[in-house]
Amino acid sequence: MRSSRKAGESAASDQIPKLSKELCHRLLQDLERARRPVLYATKCSLDNALYNHRVGYLTPGDKKVATELNVSSVKKMSRAIFMLEILLRNIDTGAVNTKRELYYISKGEIKHNPLLKPLDFSDQPESDATIDFICEMLECYREELNCYANDRGGQTYSQQLVVTETLPDGDTAVIDLSKLGTSPFQPKNRPQSLKLTARKKIDFCLIIESEGTANTLVANGFTKRHNCILIGAQGVPSNAVRGWTKLIQDQLSVPLYFFGDLDAYTLQNIYRTLKAGSAASLIRNSDYSAPEVRFLGVLPEDIKKYDLNDYPVRESDAQEGRALKKAADALKNDPFFQDKRNKGVAQILKWLLEHKRRCEQQAYFTVDPRDPTMPEKIIVDKIKRGNYV
Amino acid sequence: MTTSKKKADQAEQEQAKEIARSSKASNKITTSSTAEYFSKNLQQVGFSSQIKATLTTLKEAVDNALDACEEHGILPEVHVTIEKMGAGSIKNSDQVKIRVEDNGPGIDPDDVPKVFGEYLASSKFGRGRCSRGQQGIGISAATTWAQLTSASGAKVMTRTKAMRKAVSCVVEVDIKHNRGVVKNRETIDGYRPHGTTVEFLFDGRVQLNGEAGLLSYLSGTTLVNPHLTLHYKVPDMELQTIERVSASMPEVPEATEPHPHTMKLGEFIAHSHLFGRVKVGAWLKRGFSRVTDGTLTDLIKGGMKASLLEKSVDSIHEAEFKELFTAIQNLQLLAPSTKSVLAIGEDALAKSIRRLGAVDFFSVVTRKPTICDFKPVQVEVAIARLEDRSIDPDSPVQVLRFANRVPLQFDKSACAIVQALTSVNWRSYGLAQPKESLPVGPYIIAVSVVSPFIKFKNASKETIDASDELVEEIRRALIQAGQKLSKHIRREEKANELEEKIRHIEQFGPILVQGICRIIEAPDSRRLKAEEGLRKLLGRDAEVAEQELEQAHSRLEAQKEKERERQPVVEAIEEGVLQEE
Repeated sequence: MRSSRKAGESAASDQIPKLSKELCHRLLQDLERARRPVLYATKCSLDNALYNHRVGYLTPGDKKVATELNVSSVKKMSRAIFMLEILLRNIDTGAVNTKRELYYISKGEIKHNPLLKPLDFSDQPESDATIDFICEMLECYREELNCYANDRGGQTYSQQLVVTETLPDGDTAVIDLSKLGTSPFQPKNRPQSLKLTARKKIDFCLIIESEGTANTLVANGFTKRHNCILIGAQGVPSNAVRGWTKLIQDQLSVPLYFFGDLDAYTLQNIYRTLKAGSAASLIRNSDYSAPEVRFLGVLPEDIKKYDLNDYPVRESDAQEGRALKKAADALKNDPFFQDKRNKGVAQILKWLLEHKRRCEQQAYFTVDPRDPTMPEKIIVDKIKRGNYV
Repeated sequence: MTTSKKKADQAEQEQAKEIARSSKASNKITTSSTAEYFSKNLQQVGFSSQIKATLTTLKEAVDNALDACEEHGILPEVHVTIEKMGAGSIKNSDQVKIRVEDNGPGIDPDDVPKVFGEYLASSKFGRGRCSRGQQGIGISAATTWAQLTSASGAKVMTRTKAMRKAVSCVVEVDIKHNRGVVKNRETIDGYRPHGTTVEFLFDGRVQLNGEAGLLSYLSGTTLVNPHLTLHYKVPDMELQTIERVSASMPEVPEATEPHPHTMKLGEFIAHSHLFGRVKVGAWLKRGFSRVTDGTLTDLIKGGMKASLLEKSVDSIHEAEFKELFTAIQNLQLLAPSTKSVLAIGEDALAKSIRRLGAVDFFSVVTRKPTICDFKPVQVEVAIARLEDRSIDPDSPVQVLRFANRVPLQFDKSACAIVQALTSVNWRSYGLAQPKESLPVGPYIIAVSVVSPFIKFKNASKETIDASDELVEEIRRALIQAGQKLSKHIRREEKANELEEKIRHIEQFGPILVQGICRIIEAPDSRRLKAEEGLRKLLGRDAEVAEQELEQAHSRLEAQKEKERERQPVVEAIEEGVLQEE
């Protein structure tokens, strides 16, 4: 079967049952005619990723992965149809589950219907792979199948932001972030049902790589002194962080800045994912990337300017060595870093490869160890002077 | 000074002189007999532990029986009895009785003390034949061990065809003089027409199972001796009989003289002593293989004095020996003849391997004789997959190593055979193999190396020295056997694949169609039609699998046909054995 949707065009959640039924109809028709059904899924890898600065995020190319129904794939297909039935039931009733829960639900189904015994999953990776396969077939992401991961990262602080959430039963909930005290607002993995308004004009949104540093800035009064939104990314941004940032960009039209470590890993895995999405999520980058995010720092010139403590990359460390190798590959093959509009970040990557040094975001605390607001002052100063990439 | 005091002083001086004399005497270099040497170093010849002592004693007795039968063209029938007779005198040992009886030619009573009680008394020493025994050490060492641990020598009964009655006696080793001493000699009635029975009572321990076990030795021996009928009774087991599967005697090729390029100077000189007063030229021609008149001419052309070749070999000096030796080493000589090696043969191996237990399939390879390190060598390999599924599929294959048809059971890792085995990539033949290790699975891999000059790592002949050339030759044999075996495995894999595919179709087809129909709420009529369509579809896959199986089958059949053409006997034997079974 060939998907009827255009590449990169994601399914709206109400379309999932329709698309699933279409898929099943085609399968059945092919089978009735003793014809071998072939399923095509978008190839989600860097060699099928395109980048256009006007679009702003990585989009899928024309490459497809074909799965033909044969003796070897019949088990995989049977499991996919079995799991799809469970997921469609969830969409119908509005129930949501994690992957782990779906694993146990499938176990329960098999327990109550011994005829399904051959489909039994021996462990969770098997059922996870089946869910991923369904997503690839329908070109949707699992949140659209009501399968959610736990909400991680994206804790948000603001004195101006008001969030209105439309609940599944149609009710709305209004959350005024200024009323939460020191508690953050936790965005959902699928933040599309949220509406954002500002009580006062918001000047900027700052996304900080370290959750701890975000907390420190808030505790020291950052959000009181500035009309802003402050988000802690907690490392590699989850769907919640990515979707939430996109929502802020689209609904509030405020400048967005990312502040994190100066190293290859942060630039490729955190900043690029936040700004333009990832190769693995080509089919959902449209909803999960905020192309307007700028890289505020740490910039290479900040090291000299503020006399920051930096240190050499330990190439013997497997993770750091891998990040450097990946950075070299990215400069050659990643369309995001190859685009002229992203020359600034590409140059930082080159600098990192050349100098093999890194500097952490917390290094701003060395500038004036007795002034706890010094990092805040530097950040605000950088925004004011346009010292970002 | 008084007279009495003088006398006392004199006595003191005498005493001092006596002490000096006696201390001088203790520093005197003495020579000890060969028997003394071995009695103190029995660990060097296979008696390093109680378990090994039992195995070595059995091995030496059986080897001698088989060699004797082969020498005289008698199909061997050997009876082995191993009994535990109670606690031994050594701590944690048993008193073990081993009795080996053969139908061989028997031993002339005058030779009995030499055979069982004298070291280095051998009919085979340095003869360059592929016999099991070579030096005449083993059985005398067994007698010594029995004598040292339980104060009893070897009890021997023997009768040759020429004797009216059999002779029974006990042979002990006179360790001081390396001589066999016969005791309790008597003639007995009722013994077999010809044959020898030897019985040892000694301290040892009986280990039946495992690679170093007695059963492994016995089954290995039957594998490489298809013409042997073996009866054995070991502790905790009923009497077992393994019938011979071949009625043809292996033809032990005539001995070859040593090749000069395989010798060291010392050996070269020692070799000359066997010839006494003969001219050097004649000694070279008679005493070595591949030395001809042409070789002698070449020696002279190369600067050797012609007069040296005319001298008597017992009159030339060491410097002259050295000159001669170096000159010969520098000459181009023909490689030694390979006629002296003895193979079991693919047909006999194919028959014999079935005696190890029920096998699914097997492959056997007999390489052509070749020269490794200037010595003629022939390598044979037999690989069988056992039917026994209780064997842990992840345990290494059972390796049976043989040197001149004697099982090797110790010091596996250093052996040329094991090194060759681990160097082969068995995965390409369908066997699982961890990196740089032996393959795993329910297989037996038997490798036999036959050569009149096998280079062992030690005197107890437990490990074949791993020279590059020999390892490569064994490796080639293993690869050939692996290729043959892979055709069996491939066919089995294809059969399993087909079975799996059919099972898949039956299991998943209806589930898939029913699931689709439930989602789109399709009527039963559509479900039935789709199920039929799916069966057709997957049936086509199964047909492809069937064709692949067919191809694998025909490849295997083609291989068998080729083997039949080359060795018509194999098939006849296989059929015969199966019918008998």
